[in-house]
Parts: sequence; C-alpha cells; structure tokens
Amino acid sequence: MTEEYDVEFVERGEREARFLVRGVTPGFANGIRRAMLADVPTMAIDTVRFVENSSVMFDEQLALRLGLVPLTTPPEGEFGEDETVTLSIDVEGPATAYSGDLVSNDELVQPADQNVPIIDLKDDQRLEAEADAVVDYGKDHAKHQGGVAVGYRHLQQVEVVGDLPEFEDEESRIVRGVIEDNGELVPTSEFDHDLSNRYPGKEVEVEDVPNAFVFHVETDGSFSVEELVTRAADSIESRATELEDAVQL
Amino acid sequence: MMVPVRCFTCGNVVAEHWEEFDERANEGDEDPEKVLDELGVERYCCRRMLVSHRDLVDVVSPYQ
Repeated sequence: MTEEYDVEFVERGEREARFLVRGVTPGFANGIRRAMLADVPTMAIDTVRFVENSSVMFDEQLALRLGLVPLTTPPEGEFGEDETVTLSIDVEGPATAYSGDLVSNDELVQPADQNVPIIDLKDDQRLEAEADAVVDYGKDHAKHQGGVAVGYRHLQQVEVVGDLPEFEDEESRIVRGVIEDNGELVPTSEFDHDLSNRYPGKEVEVEDVPNAFVFHVETDGSFSVEELVTRAADSIESRATELEDAVQL
Repeated sequence: MMVPVRCFTCGNVVAEHWEEFDERANEGDEDPEKVLDELGVERYCCRRMLVSHRDLVDVVSPYQ
C-alpha cells in the first residue's frame, strides 16, 4: 500500500466503538469486517448433558439457549481446538434460571452477561445440567460470532460551496455516519443526521473521501472491541502467510 | 415461550433486557420507545425482538 495507513477513534467503549481507518482499499476494509464476523474464534457452550429437566421446554431448546449465552473468551493460545471448559447449572423452581447461575470450572471463561433468562421454573420443576464450552469460529455457528453488527461506511467530506438563494426553501439533507469538516471528525448524530441543521442557508457538497472508512463495531461481550479488531487483523495476516507459503516454489 | 437470547438478525444479546422491558413497558405504562432507548437497544432488528415477544411459560405450564 502506498498511502499512509492510519487509525483514529471517534467513539470508544468496551463493547462498542467507532473508528476511522485511512489508507486501506475497499477490499481490505471488507476483509477486516468479514474476519471480525467469521474468523475470530470465541467460546460457547456446545454440548449439554441434562441430569434433570422438568421445565416446560425441551432439552434441545434449552441447549440452544445455553449455547447462545456469550462467554468471556480467554487470551489467544490459552485454549486449543479440542479443549473444553465445563459449566454447570442447578436451579430449582419456583425461580428463573439465569445465565449468571452457570458455574464455570475455569476463571477465564464466565458468562459475559449475568441476566439472560434461560428458563422460568415453576413449583417442583428443576433444571440440572452440565455443559461443555469449546472454542470455534463464527462461520460454523452464530453463537461463536464475537462481532455484532459490524459494518463500515465511507468517510464523507462536506464542503460549503456557497449560499442558498435567499427565498429558497431549505431542504433537509440526510447523511449518516461520520463527516469530515476541515479535518475535524463529526458524527452525524450531533446534528440529527441533517446537514441543513449544521449549515443553515448554505449550499454544501458531500463527497466520499477515497480509501477512508469509518467502522462501527460491537461485540457480544466475549472480548473488548480492541481485542476483536486485533484478532481479526491477526487472522488475516496468518491466512495471508499461509497462502504465501503454499504458493512458494 | 421464553424470550430469544439473541436478536435473529444481528446477534446482539437482547434477553438480558427483557425483564426490565416487560416490567416497564408491558406491565407498567411507560412508552416502549423510550424504554428501549434507555436500555440501549438501538437497532430496529433488536427492538422488534422485545416488542413482539410474548411469554408463554405461564400459559403452557399447567399442561406439563
């Protein structure tokens, strides 16, 4: 890549972030997006052994619900492909079984959200089960998908080109994402996504900035946004290296 | 029956907000739109998961 590569955060949180990447091709931006969705492995419950289930839902339904609960994923390399972590749950009605009732045998792997209701138990109903969590990829099952609603937009540049004619009605001009105004990054939510609020009485031109993308990334709680993006980039790198080795003479 | 754990479309975990949403918007008389905004359920795919959900555990439990 000839252009200089640069990353700048617009909003930054533990589970949600927005950042600007400059100097990447559209293909690479999409590659990162796809890697975040499908190629970053996360921990999720895969096998459940029921000891007792007298609730109103079938074993299979509960197993699906348990699988969808996000678990915190340990640092890379901590767990191999076939290693499992066992979590157990034992709740007696009348009560609701929550994801927080899952007891893990590994400190690194815990339910990321404590308040996900698994099943509502009535009098004399009981749920006792043991579950095995494994590391797998988002392309194999959505429960292993660490990134949620990952997407990107072009960074848009707004330029004032003149004044509107004096008696012309002002029309709203909707843009979404992040705009650049004299080098300053402004999320469109600041002016209700309407350019006529920010530049009243002005004629403006909106243009895509070439090779600059604003990513919006959310995670399900398995890891932080930072971790997700780094691991996605690492996965692209390792696959590129693999390809290079494979085609070498 | 029970509220879906994740949004069908985007995969966001919505179930953790269900009990508060149910209490405030269904049982209570708050505006569902405001409750969802406060809970941070932003996208309409996730919002429909909560708005259109009906708990059926109480309905089927007598027929165990």
